[in-house]
Amino acid sequence: MIKLSPKLSQKFSYLLLCMAAILTIVPVVVIIFIIIKNGTSAISWEFLTSMPKDGMRGGGILPAIVGTLSIVLCAVLITLPIGVCAAIYLNEYAKDNLLTRIVKLAIVNLAGVPSVVYGLFGLGVFVMFLKLGVSIIAGALTLSIMELPVIITTAQGALSSVPYSFREASLSLGVSRWQTIRHVVFPNALPGILTGAILSIARISGETAPILFTAAAFYVPHLPHSPLDQVMALPYHLFIISTQIPNMPKNIIYGTALVLLMMVLTMSCIAIVARIYFRKRRKW
Amino acid sequence: MVNKIKVENLSCYYNKKCVLESLNINVVQNEILSVIGPASSGKTTFLRTLNRMNDLDITYSRKGDVYLDDNNIFDMKMESLRKRVGMLFAMPIPLPMSIYENIIYAPKRLGLITRESYQDTIVEQALKDASLWNEVKDRLNSSATRMSGGQQQRLCIARILAVNPEVILFDEPCSGLDPVSTAKVEESMLELKQKYTIVLVTNNVKQASRVSDRTAFFLMGKLVEIDKTARLFVSPKEKATEDYITGRFG
Amino acid sequence: MRKSLDAVIETLIFICGMLSIVFVVLIFGFLFKEGFAFFKDFGVLKFITGQFWYPSSEPASFGILPLILGSVLVAVGACLIAVPIGIMTALFISEIAPKGVRDVLKSLVELMAAIPSIVIGFVGMVTVVPLVKNIFNLSTGLTAFAGAIMLAFMAIPTIVTISEDAIRSVPWQYKEGALALGATKWQTIRRIVLKAAMPGIIAAIMLGIGRVIGETMAVMMITGNAAHIPRSIFDPVRTMTATIAAEMGETVRGGMHYRSLFAIGLVLFIITFIVNFTADLFLGKKKNR
Repeated sequence: MIKLSPKLSQKFSYLLLCMAAILTIVPVVVIIFIIIKNGTSAISWEFLTSMPKDGMRGGGILPAIVGTLSIVLCAVLITLPIGVCAAIYLNEYAKDNLLTRIVKLAIVNLAGVPSVVYGLFGLGVFVMFLKLGVSIIAGALTLSIMELPVIITTAQGALSSVPYSFREASLSLGVSRWQTIRHVVFPNALPGILTGAILSIARISGETAPILFTAAAFYVPHLPHSPLDQVMALPYHLFIISTQIPNMPKNIIYGTALVLLMMVLTMSCIAIVARIYFRKRRKW
Repeated sequence: MVNKIKVENLSCYYNKKCVLESLNINVVQNEILSVIGPASSGKTTFLRTLNRMNDLDITYSRKGDVYLDDNNIFDMKMESLRKRVGMLFAMPIPLPMSIYENIIYAPKRLGLITRESYQDTIVEQALKDASLWNEVKDRLNSSATRMSGGQQQRLCIARILAVNPEVILFDEPCSGLDPVSTAKVEESMLELKQKYTIVLVTNNVKQASRVSDRTAFFLMGKLVEIDKTARLFVSPKEKATEDYITGRFG
Repeated sequence: MRKSLDAVIETLIFICGMLSIVFVVLIFGFLFKEGFAFFKDFGVLKFITGQFWYPSSEPASFGILPLILGSVLVAVGACLIAVPIGIMTALFISEIAPKGVRDVLKSLVELMAAIPSIVIGFVGMVTVVPLVKNIFNLSTGLTAFAGAIMLAFMAIPTIVTISEDAIRSVPWQYKEGALALGATKWQTIRRIVLKAAMPGIIAAIMLGIGRVIGETMAVMMITGNAAHIPRSIFDPVRTMTATIAAEMGETVRGGMHYRSLFAIGLVLFIITFIVNFTADLFLGKKKNR
């Protein structure tokens, strides 16, 4: 074997690393490109705003869009306040003791539970035990538990990035701990919390497995009337039309995928840009 | 001479390690008491015990008592103690809001503002007392973080004054400031003495001699000597004190 | 008035803090309850080591060994691809790339993480699956191999993000020390940086594995879903996750088959618990250093 000089081996390794980085980003670009290239032709105002027709082989995907939005919105409304409070507890109140360690372990564990297991849990607890049935609210509750650890972690990160000295300054003036959190820590952590929330909305919009048995319906010919309705959901709809329906027009599949992808990517981009913006503007 | 603060047999520990040992000391009403001493002599720990900022540190514990006007501060509610005993930190910490909001922040949170119109008066008075009013009166709504270091430190003083405390603790307040700003802060300290009782912890021996009425010298967690500033600097009783103030160590 | 309101809010915050424990216990308890009812009728050992998954034949057989092997095969395949690429990318981003490139790369990696698994599954189905079929001349492209490729894409963002974090938190004094001794930058990276960041990188790999094992939709669409013990990576396989997702709809609520799926869920829960717990230990080690 030839022994390379350090200089040469450095060049060679850099090249290798660079290629790995390219390999990492190529799939992102390719996936987005394929979906856009094949899906754009299906997108029209009618596609976005009308009901499916002909056994879903025609028409639009409005109920799926509305369904996904309503599930996700409900989920975020449930999970955000709980998650932020839990983060406040962990970051501002919790002492370094056994209880705190158990809470942290629980969060790590919740974050790792497979999404389909959340689906099982939601089915057993919300759909069956609490008798909510397959519904928006059952799906939203399932998703909100799944998203809780993510929200807690990002919110905690945002809270802990607020300098400790701000808390000290406020407390030293005789302001109570909660008032300090409410009026000094929280407002300064808010941008970080919100970007985290947007990212998690993006993430759960694309989740399929947790809503498979808790919220999603194969086909519903009308828009939801109440939180107890079953709904169509974009990711589940994409799953069905790409695997279960024979002779499905390709452009409708790609169009559906494109709508889902754009929804998710737009939110992610907003969050990424917002994060960069707030970091730059930060006053400390 | 009325004793504002009485410290009785106070010992402080971090993680069981003793940093301040059976301290007995009084602070007289309307005086400036400065505390000098080399690093890790326990002077900052002493200061942070007086308004219980140390209670935030879970490794901290203490024995002994501190009385404010004959009330034991460890029996008081933390918030009401800190309202009465304000603290200025080594680095200026303006909150990330406007100058005006910085001043009005604590009075609002403490419910000291009974009428909306009263706010402007509080802000103006506090800034005047901290001799900052003339410099900032035209830009009260600009961000406090954009002021110079000296202005920020005086803003922090004004912020304390706005809650109308009785005692103000200064924790090396000029360690990050240039000589001109330092002079201004010292000037306001002398003004404040009329109304408030001041405890000043400083690494700057000359500053202690310039502003304080009495000076205490701490070494290795013990009070070595306390006396009238004029006397302590001219004829210290202890050898260690003399060595420190003449710059032989520390 | 204000004081008591503060106290109420603080209690509420405490309760929210405890909720994660409640949820973990609930999930585990629930899976355990249903799973246990199943194990009483069908032994644990028979369940885990049984070679045949025929849930709806008479008599039914609930052996999940093929499913476990399916999950493992896909996960191992995905890691073989994702781990080297992920770590090298992380090194590139944190040590070599100029700042502009780094920011773009990091944003793209984040976007990759955001692409829904169903979309990745779909794209895999229309691109990678036929490719695998043609290149390797197989009767079907729906194989563990195709699944491993797509899952690797999903594990890479996790591995990159967490390793990059670990690499970046290596104190610069370490690097400076090595560079001052005349080592090239690459030697420094290989001998010093990689070694110091190792606990974090291992945690990243563990979390990547966790992500892969838990992945459901993409796997279900690409791996062929044949519940038999795979002979090679070019066989169709069925994973535990896909089994739950595919069969739950057809089961009778409360029946044996229904419960067996919860039992699979319990197995998954325990596996991911161990994986995440280990990863957390490594992350903790990194912090304490």
